[in-house]
Amino acid sequence: MSDSDVDTDGSERTALPVDEAASLVERVSDNVADVIVGHDEAIEDVLVTVLARGHLLLEDVPGVGKTMLARSIARSVDCEFKRVQFTPDLLPADVTGTNVFDQQSQEFEFRAGPVFANVVLGDEINRAPPKTQSALLEAMEEQQVTVDGDTRQLRDPFTVIATQNDVEPGRTYELPMAEIDRFMKKLRLGYPGAGEETEMLERTAGAHPIESLEPVATTEELRRGRQTVGDVELSEPVRSYVTSLANYTRENAQLGVSPRGSIALVRAAQARAVMNGRGYVVPDDIQREARTVFPHRIRPQTGSETGSDVTETAIENVPVE
Amino acid sequence: MSGATSGTDVIASGSSRVGRPPGETADDDSPTDRLRNPAVLGVVLATLSYLSVFYHVTDVVGGVVPLVAEVVIAVGVGLVAATRLRERIAVGVAVVGFAAALGVYVASVPESQRALFTVGRLAQDLLALSSGLSVLRLINAGTWALSLAPVPTFVVAYLAGRGRHVWAATVAASTTGFFVLTSDAGVAAALGGAVGATTAVGLAGLAGAGRRGLVAQWDTVVVIVTTMVLVTSLVTVVPGGGNTVVPGSSPSVESSLVSNNDRVSVLGSITLSPSVRFTVESDQPAYWRVGTYDRYTGGGWVRTGDASPYRDRQDGPPGETVELEQSYTVRTAFDAIPAANAPVQISGETRSVTQVTSNGGFAPATTLAENETYTVVSERPSATTAELRRAGVDYPDGLRQRYTGLPGSTPDRVGERTQTVIEEAGAETPYDAAIAIERYLESTKEYSLDVQNPDGNIADSFLFEMDAGYCTYYATTMVTMLRTQGLPARFATGYTSGQRVAEDEYVVRGLDSHAWVEVYFPEVGWVQFDPTPAADRSDTEQSTLEEAREGDASNVDAAGSSEGVYTTQSTFESTAVSGDGGSSDPNQAGAIASPGRAVTGTTPPGGLLGTAAGRETGNGTTTSAGGDDGDGGLPSERDTALGVIALLGALAGARRAGLTARGYRFLWTAYQPATDDTTVATERAYRRLEAVAEREYRPREPGETPRQYVDSVVRRGLDERAREVADAYERAHYGHGVSRATADDTVATVDRLVRSRIPVVRRFA
Repeated sequence: MSDSDVDTDGSERTALPVDEAASLVERVSDNVADVIVGHDEAIEDVLVTVLARGHLLLEDVPGVGKTMLARSIARSVDCEFKRVQFTPDLLPADVTGTNVFDQQSQEFEFRAGPVFANVVLGDEINRAPPKTQSALLEAMEEQQVTVDGDTRQLRDPFTVIATQNDVEPGRTYELPMAEIDRFMKKLRLGYPGAGEETEMLERTAGAHPIESLEPVATTEELRRGRQTVGDVELSEPVRSYVTSLANYTRENAQLGVSPRGSIALVRAAQARAVMNGRGYVVPDDIQREARTVFPHRIRPQTGSETGSDVTETAIENVPVE
Repeated sequence: MSGATSGTDVIASGSSRVGRPPGETADDDSPTDRLRNPAVLGVVLATLSYLSVFYHVTDVVGGVVPLVAEVVIAVGVGLVAATRLRERIAVGVAVVGFAAALGVYVASVPESQRALFTVGRLAQDLLALSSGLSVLRLINAGTWALSLAPVPTFVVAYLAGRGRHVWAATVAASTTGFFVLTSDAGVAAALGGAVGATTAVGLAGLAGAGRRGLVAQWDTVVVIVTTMVLVTSLVTVVPGGGNTVVPGSSPSVESSLVSNNDRVSVLGSITLSPSVRFTVESDQPAYWRVGTYDRYTGGGWVRTGDASPYRDRQDGPPGETVELEQSYTVRTAFDAIPAANAPVQISGETRSVTQVTSNGGFAPATTLAENETYTVVSERPSATTAELRRAGVDYPDGLRQRYTGLPGSTPDRVGERTQTVIEEAGAETPYDAAIAIERYLESTKEYSLDVQNPDGNIADSFLFEMDAGYCTYYATTMVTMLRTQGLPARFATGYTSGQRVAEDEYVVRGLDSHAWVEVYFPEVGWVQFDPTPAADRSDTEQSTLEEAREGDASNVDAAGSSEGVYTTQSTFESTAVSGDGGSSDPNQAGAIASPGRAVTGTTPPGGLLGTAAGRETGNGTTTSAGGDDGDGGLPSERDTALGVIALLGALAGARRAGLTARGYRFLWTAYQPATDDTTVATERAYRRLEAVAEREYRPREPGETPRQYVDSVVRRGLDERAREVADAYERAHYGHGVSRATADDTVATVDRLVRSRIPVVRRFA
């Protein structure tokens, strides 16, 4: 990752200083917390994902505020937000967009799909057939889509927040391991605490607070913040710590964390360091991020174990140097 | 030995492998590899220990070159055989070799003695050897050693070459064990054997577990071996080894004289016992001789040959003699039969247990009881000085060979000095030479009981390095000097005449024990010389006696000895002669330090040899037990070696117990050297902090980050400043580094934390 990046419009961009980036994140997360009650950690996780150029998979019961979370974040940084509801009859073109013949101009005109936005919420992604799923996943990986031979660049920043509904397993297409691997993190929001829910009810009694949510940062600031993350120092002991953790999962699970997983962990940890106002990654960042980056990439040896269990054991046993 | 090893390495590696016999368990591939096994160390040590005994034996009787050559060849042959011979055949070879060696030895024994060899006799000898009879007492000890040494050496080399290190070490240690039984192996050799065997067994076991086992456990072997060395050096159980040492206490007196051993070791400091040993009724005072010794080992004396039961009157000296009858009453349990020179006849209750030694003296087969009495008739040579001067050098067959032998290692300078002494005195006859040497020693050396036992050849040390010594040193040196000139001489021990309590009665105490010299003159016999300055000696003895009397010690006086000395004016003149050292009065007077004491060399009237005898009076000769004395100065080599061994053992033990690691850790924690590298300094400071917290609270878990750990211990009470240290550490270790100031602050913080925890130091912190 270089010090500067070239934007889609070709202008040079410089990274935010670490402290500014940290305050940016704080502003955004405070702002979002006005809307989303009781999920402060989840908000941080989402912001880390956005800063680290990752994508997020939320797995939860309906109605816990997944959509609201994504929307609030998009709004806080003045980003374009789009939502796609995945259904069994959804086609890839419904996601990426399609060329439409314009009778007047006698030409094909590209009509962009919902994927052309800064924050894309793919709701109940496991309800769509694999072909449609993979259209989205390719977009996530490539940062671009190809329709009828024309390759089109997606927005920057571009973050996909996909949700999986695990209460109705019927008529769903389980995401394969290879595709789940492309999500930087997988989270469960869970229900808010009793007090938090009460407070939420109070806030939402009148107009929904999302309607009055104002942006606290510009998209440009967010881009520069992402630049900052790439510059965060990653020392040798930390790198080898990550390697050791990944190796540990490979040795102690049926399927361990892939190198892509290690890369994702490092990037998430860099973002976490910036959030904490540090220009370098410490093992604490790694441990914190490993808990959300690793589990969904691990297939445990026994059914009674979960990916989280393996991750915890790894954190406990791999020595920190 | 080292030459042998390297030479054989070549042989072993050069030889092709001729199949490994079935059952061969060594996990190494070639003989060279087997010799690289660490257990070889133990084998070599055990081998060296028994070879050192062979070496000593051959050195005493002559050259060692044949032995070294033999050993080198035996090792070579053994290693080659290891690659070519099956074990059963090798055992056969060894057995045949052993038989052949014994055959060679028997053949070498003179005709006259060979007649004595019977099966029963051989068995008896074997028994005697294994119960403390020194190999050196064998008449042909040299041949014996040369013929036998290659046998165990071949076996050891063969077994080591086969990778059977434990067996090899066992064979070597057993050989040493044999010498321990014969009392030829000193503590060092015995220990060497035991340590070698232990090391071989230990390391062979460890090597079996592979390199890792060796690395992990070598210190255990060191601890065990060191313990062996230290324990054995404090408690020695070598029977009759004459090497027991109780550091710090001087041996008391004439133990070897009293027990009439077959060997005498020269000691360091000794003390004198004022107890009465026996009383003598005799017309003439004399040296009451207990034993004579013919073989000089460099560190002591050995009597070769066997004793035979006393049957009848013995042949006296060849020349003219004066008969002297002495009646002895033993005042304490006693292991000797004192008798004036050339005892020929014994009567009384002791007769039945009397044996005649190969040197013609009397020795009891059992301990004499208190108050046992016996009467001895001695024939004392009565040659005059003139006759002795005329005696010439026509020595009987065999006598010269037996009484002029010296260890091959005796330095040439002893002979050269003797030559000078003789030439300066203008001596032309053996008698004059003996007198010259006697005077030389009397005039150049001080008398002292308090000496540091020298290493190496006693005579050489006394002559060139020491300023003082006591009778054993004087006598040993004089015999050695005479022998360098080819004059037959021997070492004699016994008692001086003692305190004269009546005209014909003498009380002899432990402090009268003495050592002197006997020189052989053709047609005369053995004549006594005493190179010890008599005046000094008698002073020492008298003061010991008075101290004892003042201290009410028991058994100090007998037969009215406390009442003073019986003196007769006449004696001095009248006893004059009797070549054999019988000048009575001077003796007597000497014991009491009378002013008239003969000065060395002043020949008493009649021109006797008596000079020698003239001045003696009891003096500590001494005895068995060898060692050192706890007496001042630098620590001896032995003490130093023990110290080094103890230190090694302590270190290995400490390592075993984790003490070194802990000690190192403590120092490491307590002190941090300055460094220019701020990162290194900060990291080290944090690790010290961790060490402190670990001792005080708990160690950091493997998966615990520095930050979590410090948070946790700070919650448990560690100083808040620890967080700053952890912070600085994170920046230094994971981040972009820290500034000089931060590093210094961090180090200072940790210094304070650490010092406030060191006892004593914290008072100043």
